[in-house]
Amino acid sequence: MKGSLGRVESALSRISTRRPGFDGRGINGEVFMRFLRLGSKQVTWIHGTLGSATVMAGAASELENPEMELGVLRMTGPRLQAAMFGTLLLATWVDFLQLTDALLRECFICSFEKQFVDLNRVRGLVETPLSDLASQDPNRVEAAALAMPELMGALTREFNAIHSDGRAAMEEGGKVLVAVRVLEMVTLISSLKMSLPRLPPAAPATLGVGLAMSSGGVMAGSRIVVSAEWVELMRRLVQAGVISLPAVSAAVRIHGGQVMMAQAHQDLPEGVRDALGDSPEVRGMRVTGKAGAGMSDAPKHHVLPKEHREWFEQRGFKGDMDIDQFCVRLEQAHHEAIHGGGNWTLGRVWPGEWNRMLMKTLRDAEARAGRMLTRNQVLDIVAERMQFYKVPIVFTKGRSR
Amino acid sequence: MTDELSWRGNWKARLYERVRERGYDSLTAFAEARPTASWVALAEELGPDDVAGVQVYDGLVAEAVRSKQVTRLVRGHLVRELWGSLPDGWPAMLDDDNRFRVAKALGLWSGIVPETHEDRVRLAGDALLANPPPAGWRPLGPDDELLRRLLPDDEA
Repeated sequence: MKGSLGRVESALSRISTRRPGFDGRGINGEVFMRFLRLGSKQVTWIHGTLGSATVMAGAASELENPEMELGVLRMTGPRLQAAMFGTLLLATWVDFLQLTDALLRECFICSFEKQFVDLNRVRGLVETPLSDLASQDPNRVEAAALAMPELMGALTREFNAIHSDGRAAMEEGGKVLVAVRVLEMVTLISSLKMSLPRLPPAAPATLGVGLAMSSGGVMAGSRIVVSAEWVELMRRLVQAGVISLPAVSAAVRIHGGQVMMAQAHQDLPEGVRDALGDSPEVRGMRVTGKAGAGMSDAPKHHVLPKEHREWFEQRGFKGDMDIDQFCVRLEQAHHEAIHGGGNWTLGRVWPGEWNRMLMKTLRDAEARAGRMLTRNQVLDIVAERMQFYKVPIVFTKGRSR
Repeated sequence: MTDELSWRGNWKARLYERVRERGYDSLTAFAEARPTASWVALAEELGPDDVAGVQVYDGLVAEAVRSKQVTRLVRGHLVRELWGSLPDGWPAMLDDDNRFRVAKALGLWSGIVPETHEDRVRLAGDALLANPPPAGWRPLGPDDELLRRLLPDDEA
């Protein structure tokens, strides 16, 4: 993922810094600058997201309690999904920027206004999905990921339309040879060719070439769509419940060119699904929402009490691992029960309230240890308490206010 | 996950039903028959889908208060925490790792001790650290000699 992000970044930087064309026409001209900025904004959050996923994965590997280890590892899931689809969508956006840039520079007959209107329309298609992916809300990320194949289909049609309009205009203007060659060059060398399959104008409803699993990876006919290594990595992530199978399937379908609307809800062939980690347990995760803390609508609660944020910060809960990352969704009855409401007859004799109980446990342990607890040690104790209260160790990000 | 079921309906009634189903007439009897198991383990046995460790503990505290056996329960609780954190018994040497394991057991113990016994538990913890038990010490239940000295029954 870092590789494709890097390529997209250099493409973006190249078109940002090109010398302005004749009459100021170019994607880096004032009028079109906002479209460039949309691109750079995405680079920033994708880098951030990949960075925090890396930090979390590292933190998970240091933990002793296996359920807590898995809980922390699964926190990377929404981030990996967001980065994967964010990079894909961004690369597609950059394709559009390059196309528009080429048209502005080479096609003097192409109306400035039309390029703006076309690009703006595409912006309307990608802006919301991009901010959903950047939102860090697992529900929105998942929804955006699943909607990607259909979106890619729409973007393909847009791209082809802009491309052929430009070509038609240039043919009319007589500057066919040079301009058309430049245009073809742009589309040929765009960084993620595979994301925009070149469909013939009268494309059939289905492509007719199914996907199949082979030793080289997932194939569409004789073409490798995604490599065997990628499949293996995804399989491990799916089976650990880190990333969802529907999201991975969406990615494979996009790369395989199955992006027509009619195919939006088709599933991958069984052989490919199995290779990606499909199993009754994985399907079960989907139903119960175990694989993603954000799958239900129950309200979120901070496991590590907000009013002691600083105490936790001093013990390593900051940045990518701050206390807002450690929220859980609890139904009302459960939440009330652990906060001292609902049916405890011994409220006075024994403090059954989560926040107080947890802080007392942590402070007592720290006093006995004779030194400040490390983050891992805190998480170890927290895991025991979560199991004691039967709070599932499935984390989601909550609000800091 | 089915954990949410633990908090639905009358969980206290459910808890006692499960205990009786297994042939015990009190939670205390059930728990004492498994003196080194954690509260979570006891809950798993009574109801893997709908009983939580904290519910078992709350029930045990209620029974202990009624029968004036809270100190005994508190001793038994330490036994369970020690078995959880120090599987090889009291460490011969308190290096960083062992120090944390001891601290964790003591913290999990004192963190939820009934208010009436907070002070006694604190003093017992102090005593344990000041005069550590022999290496390998692993109490088998609330009747352990060392524990009885640290926390003697003295309820009226």
